[in-house]
Amino acid sequence: MPTSVVHSAVAVVLAVGLLGAYADRRALAVVLAVIIAPELDAVLGFVMPGAHRTVLHTAVLSALAGGVLYWDTRRSGSWLRGRWGAYGVRVAWVALFAHTFAHIGLDWAHLDGINFLWPLVDQFVALDGELYVSGEGLIQTFVDVSIDPTTGRGVVDAGQSGTTASVHVSTPVQPSSDPDPGPVDRRFPIAVGGWQLYVLCTGLFVLLARRFQSSDHQS
Amino acid sequence: MSGFGDTHPNRKASTCTHVYYLRGEPSAMPPTLVSVAVGVLLGVALLGTAFDRRSLTVVAVAAALPDADVFVSLLLPGATNAVFHTAFVPAVAAVFVYYDTTHREGSWLRSQYGWRGVRIAWVGLAVYAVAGIGIDLFSSEGVALWYPLSDRYYAVVGKLVLSTQEGVVQTYIEFGDGWLGLASPGTTESHHVESWVTPGDGGRRLQLIESGWQAVIVLTAAAAVPAKTLVDRGDR
Repeated sequence: MPTSVVHSAVAVVLAVGLLGAYADRRALAVVLAVIIAPELDAVLGFVMPGAHRTVLHTAVLSALAGGVLYWDTRRSGSWLRGRWGAYGVRVAWVALFAHTFAHIGLDWAHLDGINFLWPLVDQFVALDGELYVSGEGLIQTFVDVSIDPTTGRGVVDAGQSGTTASVHVSTPVQPSSDPDPGPVDRRFPIAVGGWQLYVLCTGLFVLLARRFQSSDHQS
Repeated sequence: MSGFGDTHPNRKASTCTHVYYLRGEPSAMPPTLVSVAVGVLLGVALLGTAFDRRSLTVVAVAAALPDADVFVSLLLPGATNAVFHTAFVPAVAAVFVYYDTTHREGSWLRSQYGWRGVRIAWVGLAVYAVAGIGIDLFSSEGVALWYPLSDRYYAVVGKLVLSTQEGVVQTYIEFGDGWLGLASPGTTESHHVESWVTPGDGGRRLQLIESGWQAVIVLTAAAAVPAKTLVDRGDR
């Protein structure tokens, strides 16, 4: 994972704006809890190989949650609205948005990526590539479509990295799926690379700026 | 600048202050599109009720503006990531806005554009500094932060990891000889920041996105704008 701290920083930036009038300490805490919770699938790694970045990092979960949320908030006797009112509805949507982009999205572009469509398809996918304009026009290397010369079939390479059987994304809980004898080095990264520290600082900046900002005039 | 001796016990032997591999990070400068995406995200977060298409455009332009110093580099070699990336631009602008809005009888900004104008000015300034300058400061190409007082580029690159075996591993800042040292790829004379205006050996290309995480940030910004618009409609 790019660390939970980095996920949280992006989530804060998103939540502060999207919560709007509902932005308070409790709402932020709920969003952050939703951001950190998926890392619990690292613990499942002991009983199910490749569980981390699979069970709670699948885009299927976001789609399901979005569907249920939409269905519940559109019907007349909405459970969420009845229990927590408009506040609850907003916090739930923002938490889902933050989870999908700040957590699943960033993990998609990190190391072996995420098991995107698990349990429908067991395939880790990692987003990596560039987009640029050169003399040859607009070039992107995220998804590579080519023709296999031996079979003559079209091949799509979107960064498929393996399945739950072959991929183990290291976590502090389970640094390696095949532990060495001797002392285990458990690493809790806070930030790796300039950009992660940047994202972290930006999240803190938004929190601070929001605090010092004058209250919104209603226009 | 002292403190770059490779004495840090946790530093890999391969990491050095070479221009193209600064503290283990390949040479890269986040493209303008990514600056704009971060600027838009900050705009969504901080504009509040001043959020609309016009204010968001101002903020996006503020995020892209520092990168315009590539054009200056055609006349003044070494201007890239220096002339408009200096901390003095937002600092001076902040002093002006602060003076105008608090220490003058009839604030020009407020009389022209009202409360929204003041909000947009502050957010635009913050975006110029954070999304425009900041993102380049945290990349290995670096930013000449104190230009023109100093023509040295600074880069905040490294890592911060807690390890059960090695304790706190921190390579962003070097502590040595009483100095707090940031990595530096050189000065405006020795360090050439390549861009599509002044390409190096690699040929001319306008980079839009250079890695996976940047693509995710751009996608997130693209999704956050309609989300914010929807949310605002519900708030009214």
